Amino acid sequence: MTDLSGQLLDFDYSLVLPEIIAVLFAMIVVGADAFKVQLKLPSQIALALTIVGIVCALVSSLTIGLNHDGNFAGLIILDSFTTFFRVLFYGVTLTIVLGSHEYISKYVSHIGEFYGLLILATLGAVLMASAGELLTAYLGIELLSFSLYIAVSLTKGDLRSNEASLKYVLLGGVASASLLYGLSLLYGVSGSTDYSEIAAALSGSVSDLEPTLLLGLVMIIVGLGFKASAVPFHMWTPDAYEGAPIPVTAYLSATSKAATVAILLRWFGGPLLPIAGDWQMIFSALAVATMVVGNLVALQQTNIKRLLAYSSIGQMGYMLMAVVAVGSGYVDIATSGVLVHLAGYIITNILVFVGVTHFFNNEESEEISAFKGLAQTSPYLALLITAGLFSLAGMPLLVGFFTKFILFQAIVSAGHLGLVVVAVVASTVSLYYYLMVIRQMYLYEPEDSSKKLSVTTSGYLTTLVLFIAMVVLGLWGAPLYAVADTAATSLF
Amino acid sequence: MFDRLPLPSQFDRVIITGGIVVGLIGVPFGIAMVTLVVLGIITAPEMVFFVAALVILLGAVGCVLLPNIVHAALSLTATLIGVAAVYLLLLSEFLALVQVLVYGGGVVLLLLFGLMMTNAHEDPIVTDGSQKPIALLLGSLLIGTFIALLISAQWGDPVAQIVPFDVFGERLFREFTVPIIVVAVLLDVAITGALINVQAQEESPPEEVLE
Amino acid sequence: MIPIEYFLVLSAILFGIGLIGVLSRRSAILILMSVELMLAAVSINFIAFASYLDSDAFTGLIFALFVITVAAAEVGLALGIVLRLFKERRTANVDEASLMRW
Repeated sequence: MTDLSGQLLDFDYSLVLPEIIAVLFAMIVVGADAFKVQLKLPSQIALALTIVGIVCALVSSLTIGLNHDGNFAGLIILDSFTTFFRVLFYGVTLTIVLGSHEYISKYVSHIGEFYGLLILATLGAVLMASAGELLTAYLGIELLSFSLYIAVSLTKGDLRSNEASLKYVLLGGVASASLLYGLSLLYGVSGSTDYSEIAAALSGSVSDLEPTLLLGLVMIIVGLGFKASAVPFHMWTPDAYEGAPIPVTAYLSATSKAATVAILLRWFGGPLLPIAGDWQMIFSALAVATMVVGNLVALQQTNIKRLLAYSSIGQMGYMLMAVVAVGSGYVDIATSGVLVHLAGYIITNILVFVGVTHFFNNEESEEISAFKGLAQTSPYLALLITAGLFSLAGMPLLVGFFTKFILFQAIVSAGHLGLVVVAVVASTVSLYYYLMVIRQMYLYEPEDSSKKLSVTTSGYLTTLVLFIAMVVLGLWGAPLYAVADTAATSLF
Repeated sequence: MFDRLPLPSQFDRVIITGGIVVGLIGVPFGIAMVTLVVLGIITAPEMVFFVAALVILLGAVGCVLLPNIVHAALSLTATLIGVAAVYLLLLSEFLALVQVLVYGGGVVLLLLFGLMMTNAHEDPIVTDGSQKPIALLLGSLLIGTFIALLISAQWGDPVAQIVPFDVFGERLFREFTVPIIVVAVLLDVAITGALINVQAQEESPPEEVLE
Repeated sequence: MIPIEYFLVLSAILFGIGLIGVLSRRSAILILMSVELMLAAVSINFIAFASYLDSDAFTGLIFALFVITVAAAEVGLALGIVLRLFKERRTANVDEASLMRW
């Protein structure tokens, strides 16, 4: 293909087909929902189109990912790392939509826009994981953040929702500014925004510009720390989680976290690796603070969303340890370790969130005390949430144990035993607050024991699939490890 | 004389304040600058830079410290126009143009609308949070650190050149295709978000929390 | 030629002033304006580096263009959220929006 002046354009659009599908469907969903009365479309048209769109994107990303590697004009890299995250992100969105569409149609305003934003947020997350240069990556971050700023504000009839959104958008704006300031200095030092060119420039001698580079790094880490909700930049997390509709909370804790981890790995395992000595200590400190504070503050929460928010902060701490290990030069094992843990964490966390969503559909309460006697009113939900929480705490036989083991082992072999000791202590603490929820469900009598909670068919279906994945991968995690390992090899 | 002008009283004060600022700071500063240029101590571009920097920094300080929010918004305008002048000094006319159009024209207007639709039309005077001294201290420390780190670096020789509009556009649309499309989607998201947030919602919560 | 340090120092001061605004203001719209100051500082940085360091690869200019665009979009989006807060609770101050503890 050539342009008007006859110069060759080598854009391979098939590489970004899943994203093209996603954008198209996002627009169609919003449009169809807006005109569904005039066009006499069924009321659930937005949901149906969203599911079709995401399934198409998922299938096409699998087909493309397995067939060829390449890059789109140097802006988007397509390798197994990208494919891993693409499948993960589209899968997460699909699972959340399937698992909680009853909640969405009942408690979320502007349903059409909501589904559209969810798809576009996923697109932003994919861009973050697949970008090959800073500008595309930055726009991916903003696309994800913008969509989530709005999605957080869409809880119907809850004043907290708008407040959460306001806090999120203001702090997110400051974080973006800080990130951009860092990127501008990085660009000034390296003279390029392309990952490979930055790596080349930084491998050479940059001692003249060392202070500037250090400042840039700190600003980048502050900006990404906000997005990753690493302590001390986590202030927005509990509020945004509490005010958001539950599916958005699940999305924040899964896709938003995973996309940040992806970009951390891409940047710090790639262009910024030559100056690992400068940032390794910062990440060690962040990881320790995040693990300790996240898990300790979780102990005194009374709202299940806030509890899960702090628990996800703690989980982020474990993943930050992997970045430290990447800095020690163990890019391959640290990356595969963190990818395994990420996948396991996301499966488990979404399971818990879908369970909480169905609980909320019945009881309309998010307080932990409302879970009293759930084992009697709904043994199935109680079992799901219990198993999920145990897996998050890292109990054996469930996927959480296996993935944590792989991650911790990778970090020990990178020579950071001290970090792992902190992590193990933190996980033990986390078991305590997970048990507090479980105690409410099993040891107390329900207020009205005749009441039975209902779970819809799609709810049963989603949770069952996730539950089986959690147990099977916990017992036999080799396939997951193999996939993560393949994804990790493309990073270096 | 201001009584006879058909302007709201806020703008009278703006004119007076602006006049005083220009008179007390701008004029001596301008004279000093011109003298320095005539004496050959600084070059003409440097003089322009210092004037622009003065406008930018005064505007920025006004924007964060003025108690009247309309004045703060107007001094933000001064800063943004000054920034456009800096872009011109850096030989990027296109971005200077964009800056004036987008910020001077769009964003400031939007912000003023936002202010007018919230509390500005009743009471434009705002009080700042109690953490203001800490903020000032922290900000000054930050500025000090930044400057110390930035000027200790050894930068290469300047090679500034003008980028023609057509080369700029060609690069933009040839090499940054994906960002262009993504930013279109991003604007779409922003518009959607702004619309559904300001839209009158029939399901908006009862006014029990108000007052 | 003006040394590049002039521009870097100017942008550092502008960024710091913006941060002071973010930390000290209570009104959400004024915080937004302070964020705009910080983003203007970023643009100055990008353009300065683009014209001083890159002889033919002026990516920084393009980056600055996108920063300006995204900043404008962010103002629109955030104002929508602030207006809704004002409609629901008659305030645009962040510390009065405190149903949840920070």
